[in-house]
Amino acid sequence: MSGFRPGRGGVAARVAAASVLAAAVLSLPLLLESTQDLWLALAAIYAIIGLSVNIITGHAGQISLGHQAFVGIGAFTAAFVVRTVGGFQTDPVTGLVLAPEVVATSGFWIGIVVAGVTGTVMAVLLGLVALRIRGLYLALITLSFGLVAETTIFNWRAFTGGGAGAAAPRPAAFASNQAYAYVCLAILAVFLFVDWRLVRSRAGRAMVAFRAEERIASTIGVNVTAYKLLAFAVAGFLAGVAGALFGHWNQAVQALDFDLRTALVWVLMAVVGGLGSRAGVVIGSAFFAVFPLYLSAAAGGATLEIPGLGEVLIQTLSPLLGAFLLLLTITLYPGGIGQQLLPIRRWLAGGPLVTSRHEALRLAGLPGLVVLVGTLITADGAMAGRLGMGAVAGVAAGVMGALLLLEYLRQLGRKRPVAQKRGAGGPTVAVARAGTAAGGPAR
Amino acid sequence: MDSGPSGLTFLVIGLFQGAVYGLLAVGLVLVYKGARIFNFAQGEFGTVAAFVTFALFQQGGLPYGVAVAGGLAAAVVLGLLVERLVIRPLFDAPRITVLVATVGVALLVVAVTVLVAKPEPRVLAPALPGDPITFAGVALIPQQFLILAVLAGLAAVLALFFSRTNLGLAILATSQDVLATRIVGISVPRISRLIWAMAALLGGVAGILQAPLTIFTPGFMTTTTLVPAFTAAVLGGMTSLPGAFVGGLLVGAAQNVGIFYLQRAGIPGASELTVFSMLLVVLLVRPQGLLGKVA
Repeated sequence: MSGFRPGRGGVAARVAAASVLAAAVLSLPLLLESTQDLWLALAAIYAIIGLSVNIITGHAGQISLGHQAFVGIGAFTAAFVVRTVGGFQTDPVTGLVLAPEVVATSGFWIGIVVAGVTGTVMAVLLGLVALRIRGLYLALITLSFGLVAETTIFNWRAFTGGGAGAAAPRPAAFASNQAYAYVCLAILAVFLFVDWRLVRSRAGRAMVAFRAEERIASTIGVNVTAYKLLAFAVAGFLAGVAGALFGHWNQAVQALDFDLRTALVWVLMAVVGGLGSRAGVVIGSAFFAVFPLYLSAAAGGATLEIPGLGEVLIQTLSPLLGAFLLLLTITLYPGGIGQQLLPIRRWLAGGPLVTSRHEALRLAGLPGLVVLVGTLITADGAMAGRLGMGAVAGVAAGVMGALLLLEYLRQLGRKRPVAQKRGAGGPTVAVARAGTAAGGPAR
Repeated sequence: MDSGPSGLTFLVIGLFQGAVYGLLAVGLVLVYKGARIFNFAQGEFGTVAAFVTFALFQQGGLPYGVAVAGGLAAAVVLGLLVERLVIRPLFDAPRITVLVATVGVALLVVAVTVLVAKPEPRVLAPALPGDPITFAGVALIPQQFLILAVLAGLAAVLALFFSRTNLGLAILATSQDVLATRIVGISVPRISRLIWAMAALLGGVAGILQAPLTIFTPGFMTTTTLVPAFTAAVLGGMTSLPGAFVGGLLVGAAQNVGIFYLQRAGIPGASELTVFSMLLVVLLVRPQGLLGKVA
């Protein structure tokens, strides 16, 4: 990669691609319908949770199987704050919200911040435990802690309203799903920036050091205790805020929303996204947020005939797919989505798109994805101008495919350095696999 | 003693409940002893065995013994599949990665059982029929005594297997140094297959014995039994089979005594809270467990 400088056209292409990407994300809430805006908001919320898991597991090399504790405490705190500080009226008999518009926008934001702080407190408590208990045993402790949060803390009647849960209405300004999607996306953008700065800071370098080998790191003077706690604190803050956003997303909070299976989904979406890869984690999380919603909306209670099993509800297929993707990622593609994205990241940062034949082949999935999305849009009868969009997708896929073919042929004519002759597997995969738990692929 | 259920009653209930944890814990200890892996899919071996046994016995009309054999065979096949498709490719991976992989296996199996079995409640007939026996004011069905006996027997037999037989020693050797084990001529893949087959068998036994005590649903062992069983194993020292037996009984007893006092105080989630506290205290104060040796 060294010595490569994109030409003037290359720079223009990169800037254009980056702006198209940004514009697409920003205009998405406007283009989508109200229900789909809600999906988008959830995708952003899950992405924040994914980043939070990634800080503890990807950056600091610890593990959290009990993330529902931090997210849940955030959700209940936010509901508690809008109830007591923000103030809205409930019917004394039924407990139903009388006038949601009473929730002040300031109350909403106070709730978000306080939720982040309670998430931090809870995560630091667990972080203190993580200073003494490591590895597999920490995984067990976090799992057990998550269960305690779910059954004890979230069922504490005065704070959470017990099993019935608490109402968490949105303020009038964010009452529409579209406005709420923008709120969630904006907060996600802030946290993406925070995560980026964290990794680039002294703290980020310290985490790289102690996730590789704690004893050596502390020998050379890295304050493992402080930075480990910092990782838990930041992750707890993100999770708490995500919880608050989730509470307002659903407009109600109940202990049932934060069960063990949900916590495990959050871990697996970060792993499938690719621990250590910011973009990968965001994409993975968004997928795991939207896919079950899409499946139940698209299938609408439809069933599928599977030989030997009879009729099967299509919605029930989504947990199956999630677990399958996790195992596939761990055993075959340890870097997750993040590793697949690596060539694109490098290209956007000013490097070459493809450095080996294998990368060219791997990128072939990209035009494939465009074709898939284009087909889905074209098939969706509700959307106006779908034929035009389908045509755009088809042309884009064609151009991408042709460019990749050119790159592939160019790589064929190039002599490869000896070290790379071992093929796509080999050292890269081994290193990335070693990093799956301890961290991500090296940046 | 007052007229309501006393602390002693809860203690007795707890000890028998603990036998169920111990039974699952024995399998967890086996996998940890042999492969240094925390197997979060252990409960699913039990669930699958219970479901297959139920299908063969209650729906297929086969004799109970044949149905049980079928259930155990299904568990072993699942164990061998997991070993070949998930564990073997991750032979050189960090142990925490393997742990996440076993979580994935558990989720996958739960999803498949939901798909195949439909979420309807099932009750499996007990292996030992008969009227409840009253013991210390608690009505216990014969199945619960059977569980206790099987647990004690398994713990003893497996402890002897590891200390007295060549195969047991070979498994221990593999878990300590793979390269050295291969040099002295032990086939590591064969040992790995053996460990997972045995673990699945033990998980299957646990599932088939536990299922008649509850109405079972997909994933019932993972959601109700796995964490207390892990706590039992950790309490016993994680590598000690008699430790899993003792740990199981202790966790069950403590959990139910905890329920007795905490629930009376109006604290929800008493059993999870007690199990978590035990796990935390053991790991902080005596990480090698009660019967384990300092590694």
